[in-house]
Amino acid sequence: MLKIEHLRKQYGNFSLDCTMEVQPGCVTGLIGPNGSGKSTTFKAILGLIHIDGGNVEIFGKNIGEITPEDKQKLGVVLSDSGFSGYLEVRDIVPVLESLYGTFDKTFFLQNIQRFGLPMDKKMKDFSTGMKAKLKVLAAISHKAKLLILDEPTVGLDVVARDEMLELLREFMEGDEERSILISSHISGDLETLCDDLYMIHEGKIVLHEDTDVLLGSYALLKVNPSQYAELDKRYILRRRKESFGYSCLTDQKQYYLDNYPQIAIEKGSVDEVISMTVRGEA
Amino acid sequence: MKGLLIKDIKLLVKQQRFFSSIIFIAVVLTVVTDNPSFIVGYMTFIGSSFTLSSITYDEFDNGNAFLFSLPITRRMYTKEKYSFALILGGGFWVFSTALAAAVGEMKQMASIGDTLIISCMILPIMLVMLSIMLPFQLKYGGEKGRIAAIVMVGGIFIAFLIMAKAAEWLNIDLEGVFGSFPTMDGKAIVAAALIFAFVILLISIRASIFIMEKKEF
Repeated sequence: MLKIEHLRKQYGNFSLDCTMEVQPGCVTGLIGPNGSGKSTTFKAILGLIHIDGGNVEIFGKNIGEITPEDKQKLGVVLSDSGFSGYLEVRDIVPVLESLYGTFDKTFFLQNIQRFGLPMDKKMKDFSTGMKAKLKVLAAISHKAKLLILDEPTVGLDVVARDEMLELLREFMEGDEERSILISSHISGDLETLCDDLYMIHEGKIVLHEDTDVLLGSYALLKVNPSQYAELDKRYILRRRKESFGYSCLTDQKQYYLDNYPQIAIEKGSVDEVISMTVRGEA
Repeated sequence: MKGLLIKDIKLLVKQQRFFSSIIFIAVVLTVVTDNPSFIVGYMTFIGSSFTLSSITYDEFDNGNAFLFSLPITRRMYTKEKYSFALILGGGFWVFSTALAAAVGEMKQMASIGDTLIISCMILPIMLVMLSIMLPFQLKYGGEKGRIAAIVMVGGIFIAFLIMAKAAEWLNIDLEGVFGSFPTMDGKAIVAAALIFAFVILLISIRASIFIMEKKEF
């Protein structure tokens, strides 16, 4: 569905070198701290910036060969960009109808009503949640094959986030070939939605793992200096010095549960993995 | 391109108060002044310049990033802007020409034929102005684009001055060249000016496409 090979882009001191893939029928998450290269990767996928090297393929086509017809199969949400705020929802309906041959007006209008979005109010006067819902609705209302969602849940409260995630799950249930690439700061969103996760840090992909594996096999070992000295370090991915000793990230939780019953082992979470990847040492 | 045109028309409709007041002023000026043809240039310019505003609207709040993720190309976007300018400018030109011709005839200041010739002379001027302003607006955006276009027009003016001085120095009789113009048929002058303006417009479209292809959002 989407394949990125050594996508390179240089901005001053920042250098992006990204390789990743989104499989058909999968929801893939891209997670990383601010300035890690998530938005640059999204912009490169969408052809909004010129890349310095590497290759981006969507639907088996190089990004340079993508036609407007191919783009009709994409649904896009960008956190910091959307339709002009001077337009109203009723204004964008004919625009979407003209741009997308498969635009489902009934579905769109039903969901506009479902989420209580006003048809005749300028979008610049919408709340953050209303803007976010509208963006996602506009992206999923033309039976897209691939959704590219850059921080779609940013600024949303818990209820609005749940509604949005539900909307995305419904989208995925509509066709088993559909895929989503989503980035978010909120790891909880990605843990419940994504099949696999890529972690990006300082422009490089530092981890790729199935979400089930990450949540099931990853763990944080909390050990004092003597326990650390005796620890089998073959399966330790990262470690971080703490006041009590060390925190160690492993992808073999069961091994340490079986062999080191005396040490404190915390279940892995995306937040912990990010924190250890960014702040820990190898 | 249809979707983009609809978007710009919807944005234009939001400015209906502004345009209503423009039309009102135009009608009043046409009736009270003794130069109804003036209104043709005024309205055509105001009409086509909304395209410049529409580019500013697109850029506002980083809107271009989303716009270019839609199923359009940069080439399509550029062509749409020119089409929009021609549709709007053309619409306002037709309206103002009809108004000027009607008032000119009623007040017996100018015949319909004379008004039409003057209106037709305004068209190439507007096309050239658009051809200069649109690429600058696309390249530099809002305020900077307007300043750059003004600098460009100033530059052209200075270039003409230098050429005139150079001609004087080289003993070329420019007055004689220009003096031969009145002997030419008015329609021929208009036709030649229009052809020249369309050539400039085509060059401008190509330049704008090149500018847009290079841009990052």
